[in-house]
Amino acid sequence: MAVERVEGRRRLRGESPSRIAWRVFLRNRVAAAGMVTVAVFFGVALSGLMLTKGDRPILDPREVRLPDKLQPPLSTPNREALPPELRPRLGVYLFGTDELGRDVFARMLEGSFVSLAVGFVAVGIAVAIGLVLGGVAGYYGRVPIGIGRFRPMTVDTLITGLIDVMLSFPSFFLILTVVAILRPSIWNIMIVIGLTSWEGTARFVRAEILSLREQEFVQAAAALGAPGPRVVLRHLIPNSVAPVMVSATLGIAGAILTESGLSFLGFGVPPPDATWGNILADGKRYLFDAPWLTFIPGTAILILVLAFNLFGEGLREAFNPRLRQG
Amino acid sequence: MLPFLVRTAWKKLWTLFFISIISFGIIHLAPGQPSQIDPLNPRFTPQQLERYRQAFGLDQPLYVQYARFYQQFFTGELRSFKDNQPVFGKIVERTRNSLPLFILGTILIWCYAFPLGIATAVRRNTLFDRSTTVLVFALISIPGFYLAYLAIIFVVQTFQVDVIGLRTFGREGIGPWYAMMDRTWHLVLPSLMGAAAGIAVLSRYVRSQRLAVISADYVRTARSKGLDEDRVLYRHALRNGLLPFVTMLGLLIPGLIGGSVIFETIFAWPGIGRLGYEAILARDYPVVISINFIAAVLTLIGTLVSDLLYMLVDPRIRL
Repeated sequence: MAVERVEGRRRLRGESPSRIAWRVFLRNRVAAAGMVTVAVFFGVALSGLMLTKGDRPILDPREVRLPDKLQPPLSTPNREALPPELRPRLGVYLFGTDELGRDVFARMLEGSFVSLAVGFVAVGIAVAIGLVLGGVAGYYGRVPIGIGRFRPMTVDTLITGLIDVMLSFPSFFLILTVVAILRPSIWNIMIVIGLTSWEGTARFVRAEILSLREQEFVQAAAALGAPGPRVVLRHLIPNSVAPVMVSATLGIAGAILTESGLSFLGFGVPPPDATWGNILADGKRYLFDAPWLTFIPGTAILILVLAFNLFGEGLREAFNPRLRQG
Repeated sequence: MLPFLVRTAWKKLWTLFFISIISFGIIHLAPGQPSQIDPLNPRFTPQQLERYRQAFGLDQPLYVQYARFYQQFFTGELRSFKDNQPVFGKIVERTRNSLPLFILGTILIWCYAFPLGIATAVRRNTLFDRSTTVLVFALISIPGFYLAYLAIIFVVQTFQVDVIGLRTFGREGIGPWYAMMDRTWHLVLPSLMGAAAGIAVLSRYVRSQRLAVISADYVRTARSKGLDEDRVLYRHALRNGLLPFVTMLGLLIPGLIGGSVIFETIFAWPGIGRLGYEAILARDYPVVISINFIAAVLTLIGTLVSDLLYMLVDPRIRL
């Protein structure tokens, strides 16, 4: 109760709802740890991009060293068999080498950027579709559509019907089917995951806008003569950003997992691009001879996805006053 | 009551129509043709290709193919591209294999998720709640096949039992007791893997639902009447708290079928998910379309049943 009252007083002094949510979020140490971990992985991905791209990368993830294949982590390179320019920059194989003698550390660095990019682009597509469809269904939901006098449905029934249709499919199997037919490529995978995972965002946005459009500030905007698109873009969407953020954060976690599942079945991002998913999937053939090829990417995916999930859950609790601590 | 039923049925019919179009349409997204299974095969001459296209009606316009496909589907005449066997028989056989996994998986999900969700909600913000939360999220966050490999290594090395496949190969005539033990070992691990993510997700829903109910007036009333805590939690709070989960019955189906693709591949379990994967690899389109369509229809039926249940349970919904 005491916390409630303190919050109430701060509110009076003019603290905005998002500031309050932020404070509540930071008090949740697990969620804050998730956010910090996500930030660290961002740094890793960016440095991975800089260190492993280009013609002469500092750490080359594609350098094949057959004399040094399947070396365990922290092993030193075979000095007699390798010409000096092929020796790893760090002096040791930090995470070992794979079946072609490629440096797993360099591959993980390269994969960190690709994995995050897959998650972000896929979720970006999903959120864009979800925002548009959810916004239209929420604001223009009562507009009937049809030909002439025959108007069998409204915009809302059409869009919620489409959401029901998409929710009925087993999404992983659907994604697998489409990716297999279109041939897996990094762009196809991003687009297909995006096109099949917008339903959650669309539902949240629709529900949020349905409740917002009845509030006074929206009616005031409409009364002042603001056209529909302006009301939606300037007043409704900015106010429904919190649930979108939450579902986007959780969506990135889901997309990274989906990509690794596709890789496991042989339909993931194809080589030479390394992702954590396909490093993990390739490692399964050497599960007993070279377990680090499974454990390192598997644990990395677990930590990254867990961080995204805890971060997203913390945001959800912070932005939803009903879930907040009393 | 009756208008509600008619309206719901009408909506579901529309949904079914769009599902049928999408299931059929995704196959034709690709620039290639279903008949070009192996364009590099020298024995696959253009004449043969033409014969093949005619035999399966692939030279017809799309809407004709669509109508023909669903006509054959509903009359049970649909045949696989791969071996010319009836698709329906294949799917029934493989579904029968998957059914034990799905049933045990669903039972595991419901039996673990509810106590876990309730316990974490009651002990909110204790060490137990925090550690369970992290553990549950770890279950959601781990790639399913990685978890399955860890579990296989653990079980095989600790208990020295075989867990891959329906039963241990070459152990016929070992007596009913051992056969049953063997079947159980082979069944438990894949169902548990398939259920793990479901347990985690559902227990989170139960937890937040529970937190909303715990501060409700009628729960406080029940407590102030002096009822003991178990009775309050499991009789008064649980009944109302159950409502939202009725709607989740139908939505569990796609997750189970989607997950079965990966877990049945790992555990060499000849079920429906593996059939789907094999069909995708072989570009056996009738089977792929049928599985997508049947899974979506099952979900549709599931949501219809849960809508009706919801109406029965909650008198406020009777519109």
